[in-house]
Amino acid sequence: MRNPLSAVEIPVVDRFLGDGYVRNVVVMTFGSLALLALFGALFPESVAGDLSGAVFTGGMVAATARISAPIVLAALGGIFAEKSGVINIGLEGLLIISAFTSIYVAYVLGDAGILTGGNAQFVGFFAGVLASVLLAFVFGVVCIEYKADQIIAGLAVWLIALGLAPFLSTVFFGSVNTPGVGNIGWQYSAALVAVGTVVAWWTLDHTAFGTHLKAAGENPRALDTVGVSVSKIRHAGVILSGVFAGAGGSLLALGVGRFGGSGETMVQGKGFIAIVVYLFGNYNPLGALGAGTLFASLDALQTRLQQLGYGIPSSLVETIPYVVVIIVLAFVGRTRIPSAAGDHYETEE
Amino acid sequence: MNPAVHLDGITKRFPGVVANDDVDLAVERGSVHALLGENGAGKTTLMNVLYGLYRPTEGRVVIDGEPRSFDSPRDAINAGVGMIHQHFMLVEPMRIWENVVLGNEPTEWYGLRVDEDAAREAVRELSARYGFDVDPDARVEDVSVGVQQRVEILKALYRGADILILDEPTAVLTPQEVEDLYDVFEELTDQGKTIIFISHKLSEATHAADEITVLRNGKNVGTVDTDDVTSEQLAEMMVGREVLMERSAATEPPGDVVLDVEGLVAEDDRGVEVVSGVSAQVREGEVFGIAGVDGNGQSQLIESITGLRTPTAGTVSFHGEDLDDVSRRERIDRGMAYIPEDRQARGLVMEYDLTQNAVLGSQHDDEFTDGPRLDWDRAASHAESVIKQYDVRPPDRDATAESFSGGNQQKFIVGREFERDPDLVVATHPTRGVDIGSTEFIHDRLTELRSEGKAVLLVSSKLDEVQALSDRLAVMHDGEFTGVVDPTTVTEEQLGLLMAGETLDDDTVDHVGVGDDGRPTETAADEEVSA
Repeated sequence: MRNPLSAVEIPVVDRFLGDGYVRNVVVMTFGSLALLALFGALFPESVAGDLSGAVFTGGMVAATARISAPIVLAALGGIFAEKSGVINIGLEGLLIISAFTSIYVAYVLGDAGILTGGNAQFVGFFAGVLASVLLAFVFGVVCIEYKADQIIAGLAVWLIALGLAPFLSTVFFGSVNTPGVGNIGWQYSAALVAVGTVVAWWTLDHTAFGTHLKAAGENPRALDTVGVSVSKIRHAGVILSGVFAGAGGSLLALGVGRFGGSGETMVQGKGFIAIVVYLFGNYNPLGALGAGTLFASLDALQTRLQQLGYGIPSSLVETIPYVVVIIVLAFVGRTRIPSAAGDHYETEE
Repeated sequence: MNPAVHLDGITKRFPGVVANDDVDLAVERGSVHALLGENGAGKTTLMNVLYGLYRPTEGRVVIDGEPRSFDSPRDAINAGVGMIHQHFMLVEPMRIWENVVLGNEPTEWYGLRVDEDAAREAVRELSARYGFDVDPDARVEDVSVGVQQRVEILKALYRGADILILDEPTAVLTPQEVEDLYDVFEELTDQGKTIIFISHKLSEATHAADEITVLRNGKNVGTVDTDDVTSEQLAEMMVGREVLMERSAATEPPGDVVLDVEGLVAEDDRGVEVVSGVSAQVREGEVFGIAGVDGNGQSQLIESITGLRTPTAGTVSFHGEDLDDVSRRERIDRGMAYIPEDRQARGLVMEYDLTQNAVLGSQHDDEFTDGPRLDWDRAASHAESVIKQYDVRPPDRDATAESFSGGNQQKFIVGREFERDPDLVVATHPTRGVDIGSTEFIHDRLTELRSEGKAVLLVSSKLDEVQALSDRLAVMHDGEFTGVVDPTTVTEEQLGLLMAGETLDDDTVDHVGVGDDGRPTETAADEEVSA
């Protein structure tokens, strides 16, 4: 499955994306958008014209930014955890708990008249991150100190959050859905996704901490013998996954202005798509950005196309990320899972 | 001048075991010191004390005349002691320079960025100073084991090590890489570094070391100058008695053909033909040896015989019956025992205890089943008897296989396979990584089996071993037998030629009556009868 665009040399992109695979993901995403724009401009009356009309609108950009925030940020968090050797499949739970907490805190502050509007949302955002970090920390302790199975513990994180958030909402507000607190602009989502991606990329590729994190996930004993504590590094990785996923969950909820807790909650599997996204992006933050934006834009496009009268079933579009990841993992096979991911580590003596 | 390292009366006790018993050791600066002993003699424990992994129960560590107390390897590193473990502690997908500086990265921008250029330069400079020829930007997974070992040495040097401890450094190297390692030793000691290496091979110690300390049962048996000691003396120090690789000839003439391999062709996992038409017969009451440098098709030949690999051509017959469609399980049931080359991958399930491991391969036998369930009581008593008869230590059938030393794991596998009461034993490298005491024991058992009239197919890269045990000896090179010779008359030189792929003139060697196809001729069998 060779990307026809991979032969093209793109100086700026190549400078940062040495890895051919990640480069392809990014180039594919933005390349298809460029092609679509071109055809749309040339044949405004065709389906391509309709499509590009749908894609290149302010609403579409805003929708993509809002949807991509939880997906990309949770994926970045997932990269930190898994690179350190702890597979965090509880990202979905972290998104749910932070989404609820951010709205709850913003609402309570506003209701009590302590803070209002933007300030309350601002504090709510950080409260959401904190809630996610706490849950991630508990997950980390269970996995790293008590050596629980990471997959089981991750599922527990998801199920706990899935039950807890609607329950608390019902206790406090009498409904699984919270009242509104007013939504924030999509620009915040876009900005944090951009900043988060760059920070994650720099941390992993250019800091000593990033090197230690990767070593903890590849060969923890090597790290241990040079005097760096593996469990500290892994805790840091898991907590960072809480920070990133928490930011994503808070942005998701604050972007809508309320928490919806019915069914699978407003998060709707975005935490699981995030896992797919970072696998698709081969654990590279820039790859995760590319893949996350791609899936988010597909989701936004699907909604938009339904508004335009194209009857594409949403459930079909939702399967696209999973189909893609199976194809990528099975046929492209370029994703390289850290060797020690999922393994417990015990120091000698 | 003070010695670089002085271990003063080190005793290290573990619950129930004294690993080191009042050991003294002094190593001069700029010298190479070998720590020699059998598996379990306490060599690694002693070095772990020096490296700060263990705290000594008694005694003290003196570095350059200064008493030190290490709480962790980090303290030892700070004192200039570096250790290169037997299993490398490297992060494979990372670059060499990243591995060298791991944990001590030079940073800039207030720690926000690893100074890659400085790190790379440091590695390049160190590598040049000791003549290592290492590319800092290569990924560890892409370089050879020999280079990986140098990366480990660079890691220690980068951290300022003056004293380097190497645990069994040659175990993973090719002969050429071993020579290169000795050169590295020389380069390092020329520049004032001190080297201590652990080994259980006599030849290595006498070849590479200036001084040798022999440990036995946790005690220092003696420290000797390499120039003043013979291999026999060292061997005696190691085992506490004289070791003789004495040949014990078969007393009975060989009987019927048990295993008959004809024109066998096999490929390796990549699909390359590595066994090109091998024929051999193994008879009752004889040991048929296969010598040769590893990787000349021995593994694939053996796997084809034992049923782990499907040959592309040729036949394998057992008691005259073609084994083509016979499963691995059926082969075991028919009396083919197998001591695999890789005991941890194929011989044992490392997470299982010995009771569970004892029934592997016989889990269907009536002996161990009671209807659909396994009879664990009988399995336990079977494990118990293997442990007892084959002297597996510690004698604890509830301990997992991974908790035993390599030698004891091997003894257990040998015991389990021999106790199947097989007609044929296929033994590949049965004594690899096994200490001298256990080696002797395994050799004795193999010889006993032969006297009981069993057929033995023995593959080993140790020449003295195959030569001492075999009744007929085939030499394998590049997928073919370059010759089948009489091990009693063949010389080392002739074997060397055969292993290098040359063939011998018929007058120079007694071919034990081997026909052109590698089978013994009738006259040969007759000759042996009359002999």
